[in-house]
Amino acid sequence: MSENGKSIQRSGARAPRKPKKSQIPYGMAVLIVMIIIGIALSSRSATLAMYWIFGSCFGFVLQKSRFCFTASMRDPWITGSTSVTKAVMVALAITTVGFTAIKYGAFLNGLPIPGMSYVVPISFATAVGGILFGTGMVIAGGCASGTLMRVGEGFGMQMLSLFFFLVGSLLGAYHFGFWKINFISNGPKIFLPDYFGWFGAVVIQLLIIACIYIAADLWQKKKMGA
Amino acid sequence: MKEYTLDCLGEACPVPLMKTEKKINSMEVGDVLVVQIDHSCAMKNVPEWARTQGYNVEIEEVEDGEWEVVIEKTK
Repeated sequence: MSENGKSIQRSGARAPRKPKKSQIPYGMAVLIVMIIIGIALSSRSATLAMYWIFGSCFGFVLQKSRFCFTASMRDPWITGSTSVTKAVMVALAITTVGFTAIKYGAFLNGLPIPGMSYVVPISFATAVGGILFGTGMVIAGGCASGTLMRVGEGFGMQMLSLFFFLVGSLLGAYHFGFWKINFISNGPKIFLPDYFGWFGAVVIQLLIIACIYIAADLWQKKKMGA
Repeated sequence: MKEYTLDCLGEACPVPLMKTEKKINSMEVGDVLVVQIDHSCAMKNVPEWARTQGYNVEIEEVEDGEWEVVIEKTK
């Protein structure tokens, strides 16, 4: 599996590898348990079962693709590699189109637009929160999804991250009212379609994403020469 | 030609990558570095970085979830 066909010469006698145990039986057992939990959840509520299925699939994709939001924001500064950054931009572009379709569909049918509670005020607090979160995720070795995924892989250090992630979230949720009244709710709420129309909002957002993508590509060429 | 081993077991991203970068820079051309990692993220960015530097890279899964990235400093 070498780049040029021949393998790298390594000095010294290496201990022979003991054959790896097959993990397939464990995988089958986990799959059966997951199906049982899914059936149990669906008997209580169909929505819960859907959450379960989507959550499991999302975790699988994250793990297999080694997708990491932390790396997308961190690697450009450490090594100059922007391959993950570009992947995140592509993902954002796809979700932009998808979410617009869902929201615009509801809007056309005169239904309440879903997800509008996530249009939250932006202010100085947004930037401060971003810096805090960014610092934390680099130290912890993963953002929320990355930490959860690696706990599943059995990485010990990030079980510690997950524990304090829970502690921090609980503390934050407990004090959230104070922050909301005093800092967060002062900012303006911006929902792009209100300002540029539905079509304009999509075009503007995709243009911004495309600019970041191109910038990321140029950044990697400049930093790594490839 | 010397062979070095870098123990990054239990280290989260980006620590393995930064240690590798440091170690490689202190090595002679032709030396080989074996980086031991067990963080899946490092499995991606360490080989990717080494390849863009033009080094030869091999990955070996020594245990379930534990890898050795073998890097030959070719220039």
